[in-house]
Amino acid sequence: MRRAFLGEFEEIVLLVVAACPAEAYGVTIWEDVQQQTGRSITMSAVHATLYRLEEKGYLSSTMGGATAERGGRRKRFFTLTALGVRALNDIQEMRSRLWQAIPPGKFQLMGF
Amino acid sequence: MKPQSKNNDDAMSLPPRWADWLLETCLTPRLLEDVQGDLHEVFYKRVNEVGVAKARREFGWAVLHYLRPYFVKSLQRTDKLTESEYPSPECRTTFLLTPAMLRNYIKIAWRNIAHNKSFSTINILGLALGMACSLLIGLWIQDEFSVDAYHANGPQLYKVMERQFYDGKVDAGDGTPALLADELKKEFPEIAYAATLSWEEDRTFSVGDKLNKEKGRAVGSDWFKMFSVPLLAGTAETALNAPTKIAISRKLAQNYFGSPQLALGKSIRIGGKDDYQVSAVFEDVPANSSETYDYLLSWQDLLKRNEWLKDWGTNALQTRIMLHNDRNGVPADPGRLEAKMKSFLKSRNPGMAKKGLDIQLFLQPYQDAYLYSNFKSGYQDGGRIEYVRLFGIVAVFILLIACINFMNLATARSVKRAREVGVRKVVGAGRGLLIGQFVGEAMVLTSIALIIAIVVVWLLLPTFNSLTDKHITFRFTDATFWLMLLGMTLITGLISGSYPALFLSSLNPIRVLKGAVRFGSGARLFRQGLVVFQFALSMLLIIGTIVVYRQINFIQTKNLGFDRDGMLYVSSEGELGPKYNTFKDELLRMPGVQSVTRMQGTPTNGFGSTGNVQWPGKDPSTSIQFQFSTVDYDFTKTLKVKVSGRDFSKDFGADSANFLINETAARRIGYREPIGKPLTMWGKPGTIVGVIADYHQSSMHTPIEPFIAKLGDGQIIIVRTQPGQTKQALASLETLAQQMNPKFPFQYRFADEAFQTLYRSETIVGTLANYFAFLAIFISCLGLFGLAAFMAEQRTKEIGVRKVLGASVTSVVTLLSQDFLKLVFVAIVISSPVAWYAMSRWLQDYAYKIDIEWWVFALSGLLAIAIALLTISFQSIKAALVNPVKSLRSE
Repeated sequence: MRRAFLGEFEEIVLLVVAACPAEAYGVTIWEDVQQQTGRSITMSAVHATLYRLEEKGYLSSTMGGATAERGGRRKRFFTLTALGVRALNDIQEMRSRLWQAIPPGKFQLMGF
Repeated sequence: MKPQSKNNDDAMSLPPRWADWLLETCLTPRLLEDVQGDLHEVFYKRVNEVGVAKARREFGWAVLHYLRPYFVKSLQRTDKLTESEYPSPECRTTFLLTPAMLRNYIKIAWRNIAHNKSFSTINILGLALGMACSLLIGLWIQDEFSVDAYHANGPQLYKVMERQFYDGKVDAGDGTPALLADELKKEFPEIAYAATLSWEEDRTFSVGDKLNKEKGRAVGSDWFKMFSVPLLAGTAETALNAPTKIAISRKLAQNYFGSPQLALGKSIRIGGKDDYQVSAVFEDVPANSSETYDYLLSWQDLLKRNEWLKDWGTNALQTRIMLHNDRNGVPADPGRLEAKMKSFLKSRNPGMAKKGLDIQLFLQPYQDAYLYSNFKSGYQDGGRIEYVRLFGIVAVFILLIACINFMNLATARSVKRAREVGVRKVVGAGRGLLIGQFVGEAMVLTSIALIIAIVVVWLLLPTFNSLTDKHITFRFTDATFWLMLLGMTLITGLISGSYPALFLSSLNPIRVLKGAVRFGSGARLFRQGLVVFQFALSMLLIIGTIVVYRQINFIQTKNLGFDRDGMLYVSSEGELGPKYNTFKDELLRMPGVQSVTRMQGTPTNGFGSTGNVQWPGKDPSTSIQFQFSTVDYDFTKTLKVKVSGRDFSKDFGADSANFLINETAARRIGYREPIGKPLTMWGKPGTIVGVIADYHQSSMHTPIEPFIAKLGDGQIIIVRTQPGQTKQALASLETLAQQMNPKFPFQYRFADEAFQTLYRSETIVGTLANYFAFLAIFISCLGLFGLAAFMAEQRTKEIGVRKVLGASVTSVVTLLSQDFLKLVFVAIVISSPVAWYAMSRWLQDYAYKIDIEWWVFALSGLLAIAIALLTISFQSIKAALVNPVKSLRSE
């Protein structure tokens, strides 16, 4: 299988969507990303990433019902697709493999 | 914290309008709703946290971040998206301006251009020629308006003019008494600076062994403070404040001394005897200045050399003033000043009222003086501005003719595009979009034409400059130049694209697609109207050209009353003045010279005028202005004018008190037998010894005026050559002049050349009118050619059938031509009276003029018909000669 490349920021956004307990949409995702990373990020960056992930098939989105608080505009809710879950798992697996490959005691040698 | 305004009606608590608008216009529609929703949600949150103002700023800032390729709609790759829902209906219309659609428009436009090469060529060529022509005229007009417009004090500068009431007439001119400038400045506090400007003098400069003639003037010492003539050395204060000071141009400084700095303080000998110190060096006077000079002498010096200028009765010099600005920078009111100074001259020259003469002063804004230079009966009446307007109109006409070509061809060919319009409408193109498409196509063609036009103008500019005596360049750094180009493209594109666009977009798709396109008589009539209009304009230009040409020809060949061929003017300077008699005697002995005389001024450029002429029986309340000059022996013989009585002659000793007058003067004075009658000029009594036949002393714009000549010396030596021996005469003159007058370079002028310069602007206008008329008719014919080609193509089958049934080639050609000829004929009928009226107005400026005869109209009409026929016949004969088998084969 062609493994789609997932950038660092894309991974974070994907993880945030996965971690979100309630339905995730632009504003909540944006706030969580900022909170988790401690970086100041523009909303357009988050939006662009979300749509790009959707194009790549890691996320799917549905429009919610009409809302009152934002001028009646609907929210777009994002959920992980099976592909998205697999991608996250792949990354996680690769990472733990790499972690395990670090020879024991190497970090201590370097003084950490 | 302030209580939050929850009221959504309050505009201030809403996100900034512009940001929402930006979002709505730029964002790809699929993403708009939730992105905008998210942004709004955050905005309201932030309003509570940090207040409205900051939230609004943040919102705007956030929106700006969405302006990137990923979100902007025209760049959005729609195909890749998995559509989870349909876009909302209001988003759908904007799809028509997507890149795909635009690409389609361009493709179709290009195919249309490429497929119909001949039509596209005609269209583009016509437009390019028209635009090149308008561009040239536009540049010329821009240049005309730039003349004298560069002075920083421009709005405060005025020319003081005189309005003279005498002899029941009113005349205005810019000649004023020499002392006026200083007196005005003393008398009126509104005037900040005042300076006199003298006539142009041609004087011989010598520095070391460098010897040359230079042109310059004398001016008042305020000159450099008033006019923006940058000084390279010296100061405005000290330049020209003493009689021996001289200011020279950069050019002279470089020629004589090497550089402006080196020139300062050096000495120049002028006229072989007077020395002047260079007190300032100024930048060369730019080409767009109405007065030119390479050196400026001081005003005191001029007075010293010309004592007669101190008389208040003279009016030989121009006076310029600059008004004060008050503390707020508001200039003094020229109207009020004008009223105050109106009768100023009466206080200085009390004698003039007794002679029945009244002179009033008035002001003309200096910057207007160049374009509004004509005065008729004492009041402003046109001037160069008329040529500016005239050519402006011509430019518009020619561009219009080119636009009409475009409109005509596009509408005529609309049958071909009708199906395309039908299909576009069926798949949902709105009318506005179709109009946009066709106007856009016109713009594309216009832009191509513009590029060609710019190249053409660029190539023609040197020729045009030498023709019009200008120094026009493309000013690529000038914003107005680009604005002019942009404006011209837009206007041309809009005019030429508008009718086809409106017409085609109005077609009914059902009827078009059924194949039953029938254009109503309205469209045909409109097209015919355009052709008539086009040809009427061309006719107007042709008639105008013929009349202008004939008038110029009339002027140049008219018998002036003296023979200007084989006559030379030599300026009498240096030794030639005192040793004139020797010079004359020597010269007459040399080959090629027939006779020699001298006078003040030249026969065609008067020396001056005076009202101070008395005779017994003169009505004391009238004042007649006489042109006067001093002339030497052999005057009439050299000029070859007829004289009754006798010329001044050495055989009569007392001739210095006698007068020669011309026939007009004799008539005005009222003597029946003028010879031997008394006459007093400037208080010196004398006798009239001869009456010379009237000759033109000035251009044909002015009638012949009464003229008095006295015996005396003169600045200009006039030499009559033996017929056909001009070369020998010139050689003789040069040798003798150099022998007797080695300190001065020898220079001469032909009389007919001097005469031609009087009609410089007419000659230029005549030549230009020629070219423009030719262009107009050429562009019109291009259009006609295209239309004829189209008609022939349309009627191929009809012609085939006619030929099969026995029609001859002649009858077919007649059939195809007569429609067009009718139109040209109507154009002739319409334009003739208009042309007659316009040209009569133009001719009114001349005291001596041609009559506009009927054959001018007949000739130009025939010309138009012939040209049109020639254009059409090529196509109609081609169509008539086609083998009917070929044209009917497909049926």
